[in-house]
Amino acid sequence: MNETSPAQSIGVPKPLVDGPEKTTGKAMFAADFQTAETLVGRILRSPVAHANIIAMDIAKAEALPGVHAVVTEADCSDSYGVLPIAMNEWALARGRVRYRGEPVAAVAAIDVATAQRALDLIEVTYEELPAYFTAEAARAEGAVLLHDDKPGNIERDAEFDLGDVDAELAAADLVREIDVNCAEVCQVQMEPHAAFAEYDGARERLTIRPSTQVPFYVHKMLARTMGMAEGHIRVIKPHIGGGFGSRTETLQSDLIAGLLARKARATVKVVLSREETFITHRGRPESRIKMKVGMKADGTITAVDFTVQQRGGAYSGYGIVTILYSGSMIYGLYNIVSARFQGVRVLTNTPPCGAFRGHGTVKTRFAFEGLIDDMARELGLDPFAVRRANLLVAPTMTENDLLVNSYGLDQCLDWVENASGWKSRKGKLAPNKGLGMACSHYISGASKPKHWTGEPHATIHLRVDWDASITLLTGAAEIGQGSSTVMAQCVAETLGVDMGRINVISSDSALTPKDNGSYSSRVTFMVGNASIDAAQNLKARLVEAAARKLEIPAADVECLGEVYRGGQQDQGLTFEEVVMEALSGEGTITVKGNYDTIPESWGGRKYRGAAIGGTMAFSYAAQVVEVTVDPHTAEITVDKVWVAHDCGKALNPLAVEGQVQGSVWMGMGQAMSEETAFHEGLPLAANMLDYRVPTIIESPPIEVGIIEAADPHGPFGAKEAGEGSLSGFLPALTNAVADAMGVRAAELPLTPDRLLELLEKKVREDAATSGRNRGAA
Amino acid sequence: MTKTIAKTVLSLNLNGVVRDDVIPDNLLLVDYLREKASLTGTKIGCDGGECGACTVLIDGRPRHACLTLAATCQDSEIETIDGLSRDSRLTALQRGFNEKLGAQCGFCTPGMIMASEALLRRIPNPSETDIRDALAANICRCTGYVKIIEAVQFAAQALTEGEPAA
Amino acid sequence: MELLSELKLHHPISVEDAVSLHAAAPTGRYLAGGSDLLVNVRRGIEQPGSLVYLDNIAELQSITDAPDQITIGAGVTLRELANSALVHEHFAAVAQAAGEVAGPSHREYGTLGGNLCLDTRCVFYNQSEWWRAANNYCLKSRGDICHVAPGGKKCFAAFSGDVAPALLLFDAEVELAGPSGRRRMALAELYRNDGMDHLTLETGELLVAVHVAKPSVPVTSAYAKSRVRGSIDFPLAGVALRMAMRDGRIAELRVGLTGVSPLPFLAGKLDKFIGRAPDQACLEDLRDAIRSQAKAMKTTVTPPHYRRRVAGALTLKLAQSLAQDLVEASS
Ligand SMILES: Cc1cc2nc3c(=O)[nH]c(=O)nc-3n(C[C@H](O)[C@H](O)[C@H](O)COP(=O)(O)OP(=O)(O)OC[C@H]3O[C@@H](n4cnc5c(N)ncnc54)[C@H](O)[C@@H]3O)c2cc1C
Ligand code: SF4
Ligand code: FES
Ligand code: FES
Repeated sequence: MNETSPAQSIGVPKPLVDGPEKTTGKAMFAADFQTAETLVGRILRSPVAHANIIAMDIAKAEALPGVHAVVTEADCSDSYGVLPIAMNEWALARGRVRYRGEPVAAVAAIDVATAQRALDLIEVTYEELPAYFTAEAARAEGAVLLHDDKPGNIERDAEFDLGDVDAELAAADLVREIDVNCAEVCQVQMEPHAAFAEYDGARERLTIRPSTQVPFYVHKMLARTMGMAEGHIRVIKPHIGGGFGSRTETLQSDLIAGLLARKARATVKVVLSREETFITHRGRPESRIKMKVGMKADGTITAVDFTVQQRGGAYSGYGIVTILYSGSMIYGLYNIVSARFQGVRVLTNTPPCGAFRGHGTVKTRFAFEGLIDDMARELGLDPFAVRRANLLVAPTMTENDLLVNSYGLDQCLDWVENASGWKSRKGKLAPNKGLGMACSHYISGASKPKHWTGEPHATIHLRVDWDASITLLTGAAEIGQGSSTVMAQCVAETLGVDMGRINVISSDSALTPKDNGSYSSRVTFMVGNASIDAAQNLKARLVEAAARKLEIPAADVECLGEVYRGGQQDQGLTFEEVVMEALSGEGTITVKGNYDTIPESWGGRKYRGAAIGGTMAFSYAAQVVEVTVDPHTAEITVDKVWVAHDCGKALNPLAVEGQVQGSVWMGMGQAMSEETAFHEGLPLAANMLDYRVPTIIESPPIEVGIIEAADPHGPFGAKEAGEGSLSGFLPALTNAVADAMGVRAAELPLTPDRLLELLEKKVREDAATSGRNRGAA
Repeated sequence: MTKTIAKTVLSLNLNGVVRDDVIPDNLLLVDYLREKASLTGTKIGCDGGECGACTVLIDGRPRHACLTLAATCQDSEIETIDGLSRDSRLTALQRGFNEKLGAQCGFCTPGMIMASEALLRRIPNPSETDIRDALAANICRCTGYVKIIEAVQFAAQALTEGEPAA
Repeated sequence: MELLSELKLHHPISVEDAVSLHAAAPTGRYLAGGSDLLVNVRRGIEQPGSLVYLDNIAELQSITDAPDQITIGAGVTLRELANSALVHEHFAAVAQAAGEVAGPSHREYGTLGGNLCLDTRCVFYNQSEWWRAANNYCLKSRGDICHVAPGGKKCFAAFSGDVAPALLLFDAEVELAGPSGRRRMALAELYRNDGMDHLTLETGELLVAVHVAKPSVPVTSAYAKSRVRGSIDFPLAGVALRMAMRDGRIAELRVGLTGVSPLPFLAGKLDKFIGRAPDQACLEDLRDAIRSQAKAMKTTVTPPHYRRRVAGALTLKLAQSLAQDLVEASS
């Protein structure tokens, strides 16, 4: 008999378990579902930015032949939202509209033409109110309030003051400030939002397939909005065409599909256009950041003092969380003690912002890493040296009580420094070329869930049936990030079986256990751990069965994955035989595994909101960006990126590389070309021509170094891999441009027009200085 | 409403199958494919011509199904992602996108693969620049394109090493 | 499912059929590749009622070579144009410009005729029906104000086709067929400086072909466009440049511009550069001369300030590299 050994799944590059259907067109996304009777759902959107709704008449639309339902706020039982304390949004505007494009009514009709005609027949009378499209305007004295309970149009003021900032700034050898403004950006996942809702009128049950990252939250909000028992709603997650945070909260389109289906007592499909998907937004807010840093001559940072103002849009959404992250995440990357933060999240008459990949951290990181680069130059220090002068030593707790148990930033720095040839090339490149670097980090899931219900953070079910296949049931939403693959790997590795044995069923509320969803990079860490726990529980059951069959004590059973045996000489039992024994007399078995975070990771209590930032583990990243700038047109070419990411353990190195490349590249879009823009609250760039997602032409090669500073609590040591390297790109790029051209970009994206202005300003200033110098000589 | 909508009897060869449909003249090819022919592999990612998700081959040439009237495809040969693999065997390109992780969420993938298919038929051994030039109308939001390039290179190599295309 | 206004599609196989089908429904449109027109139909900007499809008309589909000129059918795709060795040899800028239009898939079916007859563009106009209605429309379509220059009565929507400025370098002529027969005129005369009505085509007139005389001596030309991304984007500014040198001095210079005004045009007042050596000072003067003629308005999300400057910058770069090529070729 051949030497058997457990199959290895962890640390091996694996194609995605759902790859074949994606490459053959068989993968079903929400918009792909269709039955002969499916009605078309369409949404009427507000043409005005801020107004009271005085009257709405839907009678004509309802009377139009072919129209099966018209819904308005009157059909909604309640508001909805993200945080239990800030549920101030309605699926369809109630009483007031607060941004252009806000849904006010919706119809279900037999075809698009009828649906459109019905929308045209709905009469809405608006009484317009002053509208505010910038944070400054909304905060101005006497501004009309968007929400009566939000004085000053402030969603939330956040602040902390830790250590002794003033003393530490005074003790610094160099204190410098920066004032940056970063444009609002949108996720632009490739799949426009869609939901396919079937209503069973005989039983009063709803089944819905929404394009969401958070089926569980959609489930809750559907129940709330529709006034239905959660048990009467089934949420099935179809294939999801990306999310990046745009679907980390329930969207109106999900709720409207449910409302229409119920009212029509039929099947309704709502598919948003790209423009509507832009208007639904939930992207990263425009942010103004003013930051002051104190530094010793050796590069040690003494203190950070900063303010952040975010233009949040018309509703709360994740606003409170976003503004808190933008403060708390100054910690956790470097050894910073004294820091003071004042943040303000402002309500404006623009589409609501949300949680975008790298949630809350990106723009603060941009300000910080640019500022310390300039300070390094002034102090004659290498950018790497400055970062190295401020490393943390794990395990540790940061000043704001964030738990850091593993820390691979030093290794990340070494890797990118070598790979990019930094030492031999920096400062020696041809004219108009530059190298820049920056570091970043991100959480592996928020340790405190938003809806605290007492159940575990993650639960996995494993079902084994007579055919000896293992069905992994998870509520975690596979959205293209490869989470189903990672779970299958964790289970296969723990059991030592081939991954082919495992089928993953992701997110069907009738089948799979509850899961909070795919956001804040929680899935690998939390669901991975739950998968391991489940597999261990299953293994214990199988070992027991094998022991029974082999008539030996369980402790003597040796598990080789596909073979369970009593010892070297023993022929052993095949996996199938063990399974048959385990099932005998009992039938199909389902075991479960759970995961819970530890209280030390829940963040601190030193200030209000200090829990935001608390996580079981941080990922770390460093990157070097090489650019060439055209001095005439100010076009930037990114020649190459080297990035090292500490993910604890690369469970699937192929997927880690893909995630890191995707993150870096997404950072590039935000750094160089992407921004929403408004004309009196109308989105000017709500299409994929004016909103410039990079094409393959200008996208650089991205070389990835995987660093594995194993986390003691991570599944096989793993931490997050899909967000942490995004934010570093922005400052690494502008640092490279500073290296190439001697100008500091304070406004993002650094489009050619912005850079040209900086370059021209520099020419003028240089001329003025040399003029003065000549004059003085 | 008695208004008569202009209609065409459309005959074409769709993924190797000849079919006739009566369609209104204002029907877009992408809607014809997805809703008339129930081939939902072809995706819609934008409001017209901006993303490449709907790329199909018409008489071997890549084209946006979202900016094509179905009635202009009279007697054409149309190929979509749904018909690419024969007998359920993945083509070299499909395997490349799968094994090299050229598909993450998979939403851009049908369009990417069809554009790549046209490329490999023209240039069996493309350079990296050839690949970039051929895919420059296709947006992907997940991969940063690095692994998409590797996927096409994988397929080109598999094909030049003599593996049958499907 | 996308809602398109109702329309009747015609499939003529000759130019004459096409013209008479169009004449029967004069509010209709000719449909070539559709990569511009159908975007506008989808947005409700155009509701043509009737479309005369040009792809089956053989006369429109070829590039023909004669001793003194070449003729490019209006239905020739941008890909064919970009790859044509013949066009490359005599009119390099034209082939380059065709290769820079949109993205590769668009060039597979986008045609020369469609590119020359492209609608003008403006960020207040290339928007959905909902958007334009919410913004009270504008002069160019159904409204009575301009959001770019609110006081005025003029539309500044920019002509943004890449190929026209390159053809202008060579005094290309267009052949038109209309209800009253065929005529020929200079390509430059096809355009007028009015974003609302930038084409001088008479109702129902079809662009059949472009005729370009071969220069008696080989000329050097090139095209460059500014855009934020490396592909897909329309030109923020596009510059076509033709240059000859004698004894190290500029002997001939033409600059065609697109993307910066309602029509593509040849820059004026370049005589002063004839006879100058293309040194740094000369190139910078040329840059400034073009800048002052590129009067871009706020019709794109990118500010006009940049589009003016980059038109100058691209001219400088093109002139520099062509001068270098010419010097190298002559030495
Ligand atoms: C995302 C995107 C990006 C683009 N980027 C660019 C770009 O960078 N540069 C650029 O130049 N273009 C760009 N375009 C526009 C377009 O693709 C090209 O200009 C193309 O050449 C248009 O040709 P067509 O055959 O598709 O024209 P169509 O859309 O068929 O026609 C355009 C117009 O010309 C008229 N027309 C067509 N042929 C004739 C004829 N023979 N006689 C009279 N009238 C005629 C039509 O009635 C219509 O009004 C882009 C389009 C999209 C969707
Ligand atoms: S320039 Fe003025 S009139 Fe012309 S399209 Fe733009 S907004 Fe309309
Ligand atoms: S759907 Fe056709 S190009 Fe986007
Ligand atoms: S794989 Fe998601 S858009 Fe390309």
